[in-house]
Amino acid sequence: MKILIVEDETGLRDSIEAYFTGSDSICETANDFTSALAKVSVYRYDCIILDLTLPHGNGLNIVKHLKENNHNDGVLIISAKDSLDDRLTGLDLGADDYLTKPFHLSELKSRVTAIVRRRSFNGSNNLKFNEIEIDLDAKAVKVKDAVVKFTRKEYSLLLYFIANKGKVVSKSAIAEHLWGDSIDIADNFDFIYSHIKNIRKKLVEAGGNDYIQAAYGMGYKFTDA
Amino acid sequence: MKLFDKYNRVNIAVTVVIMLVTGIIYYYTISHILTNQIDKDLVLEENEIFSYVNKNHRLPDVYESNHQQIVFAPLGDKNTARRFLDTTYHDSDQKDLEAGRALISSVNISGQNYRILVTQSKVETEDLIQIIFLITIGVIVSLLVILIVLNRVILKSIWKPFYKVLFQLKEFSLAGHATINSTPSNIDEFTELDQAVISMAHRVKSDYQNLKAFTENASHELMTPISVINSKLDTLVQTDEFTDRQSKLLNDIYGTVTRLTRLNKSMLLLAKIENGLIQDNQDVDIKEVIEECLYQHEEMIHQLNIKLVTDLRDKHLQANKSLVEILLNNLLSNAIRHNHQDGELSVYLDSEKLTISNTGEGSFDFQQVLKRFHKSDGSEGIGLGLTLCKQICDNYGFKLHYLHNSQTHTFSVTF
Repeated sequence: MKILIVEDETGLRDSIEAYFTGSDSICETANDFTSALAKVSVYRYDCIILDLTLPHGNGLNIVKHLKENNHNDGVLIISAKDSLDDRLTGLDLGADDYLTKPFHLSELKSRVTAIVRRRSFNGSNNLKFNEIEIDLDAKAVKVKDAVVKFTRKEYSLLLYFIANKGKVVSKSAIAEHLWGDSIDIADNFDFIYSHIKNIRKKLVEAGGNDYIQAAYGMGYKFTDA
Repeated sequence: MKLFDKYNRVNIAVTVVIMLVTGIIYYYTISHILTNQIDKDLVLEENEIFSYVNKNHRLPDVYESNHQQIVFAPLGDKNTARRFLDTTYHDSDQKDLEAGRALISSVNISGQNYRILVTQSKVETEDLIQIIFLITIGVIVSLLVILIVLNRVILKSIWKPFYKVLFQLKEFSLAGHATINSTPSNIDEFTELDQAVISMAHRVKSDYQNLKAFTENASHELMTPISVINSKLDTLVQTDEFTDRQSKLLNDIYGTVTRLTRLNKSMLLLAKIENGLIQDNQDVDIKEVIEECLYQHEEMIHQLNIKLVTDLRDKHLQANKSLVEILLNNLLSNAIRHNHQDGELSVYLDSEKLTISNTGEGSFDFQQVLKRFHKSDGSEGIGLGLTLCKQICDNYGFKLHYLHNSQTHTFSVTF
């Protein structure tokens, strides 16, 4: 997929670019409003990761520009402003999602993947990963054509891993994805372990491979290598 | 003591003293003048006796006139000094004693000295003085009454602007939106007071606004560097293999960054609520929010083997959904985290009230934990949880109560 990262904070832009650049993605970057507008005027992207507070202009105007020109690029707004106003305005203007800073790169990746998947929707909204097949509408998982029951959190975690395959996903990121701000992080690590244990067990029992590896006690990595 | 009472007390005391002193002076002056008048009458009588004696060379017949008696007594060779004196007067008709004034004098008739005693009754004089005294007392009393009433009326109306300003000051709240209105007055002091109060309120409010704006901006600005740290960490863990020691360090950093983020988010949220920046009211299904919260905590409830009792009726509110979520999540999260193994948690919701009770050790001072950054011993939180709850409740006019009895903590929110 082809992604444009519009972010004026160099450190963050570089990290996102490094995280997204890989086997299936091409990344371009813009560091201010003018260069971002120039890029979206000429090229089309699967998803644009857009910061709102930019030098020389407001990121919302880029969303407007896309809309006015009937460009169908996916847009994910990232902003330090957690104001509902901005969120609603952004979504009303045609942005697909809104993520508040600070966020984990894995969360960003998962959101971007979801947007791109929705955009390239062709007939059936199914996600296939080797022998695992996920019906995103019905939230049902099949392994080797046999239905496997997952709880809501397990299902969410499985999708999160697939979106971040090949990457080490930290426990912090997993906890935040599953529980948001509602539980203290330190409480969660045991629960993460038991959820992951369940996912592995269910996949293996259905005849699938064990794709989840523990990564040096910091997190987990979903890999088909 | 009210200014009015104080003023009245001083005023009345001074008035009474002045009136009394005036009355006394008045009494003596009048008394002196009237006595002089009587003395003149007595001298007149004496002269009449002298002229009679000169003409007839004998004492006049003694007759009793109204309020006047004349008595002659032979003195022989002796003489007597002429003098006035206060004495008693024997009224022959009424047989009683009256105050009187007498003149003692002497006359010589053919070598024989006679003492003359002319006595006159002072009863009319006394009556006159009494009437004057009564009138004076009447004037004093009516003057006092008029003074009190007048003071009350005038002071009330004069001080009205003052009380208005005072009332506004009492109602003044930093966080409130009400401003202090100008109170017009034609009294310079009150106009000055009014202006001083208005400018002070304005200054205090703007200082407070600046402080709040600073908190909000500072929290805001912090979000960007935190997100850079976060993303760098995420990138770092992709790079290479790590030793146990390194991964332990990385975990600690992750945990700390998360805490920092939460702290910052909470401060930002507090500032926003205080600034009244959170509006976007929508219909919130309280029951649904509670159920979602409990679902989020299911692992913890399961792990502690907490017995969960719920009785949730339908309840909808007009509020900002994320604020309600934070409120309920904080309360439920506390009730679960501070519970003990095999404890109990009950959640009751009806249209008026949400009650969350949990078993748990110890007790705490509710007012104390409402303070910012207050942490109980062994708490892992950032000490803003209940402060936020209180702030959210205040924002929507809910009442947050805490009750503790033998091992059970109960929080209730009255909508």
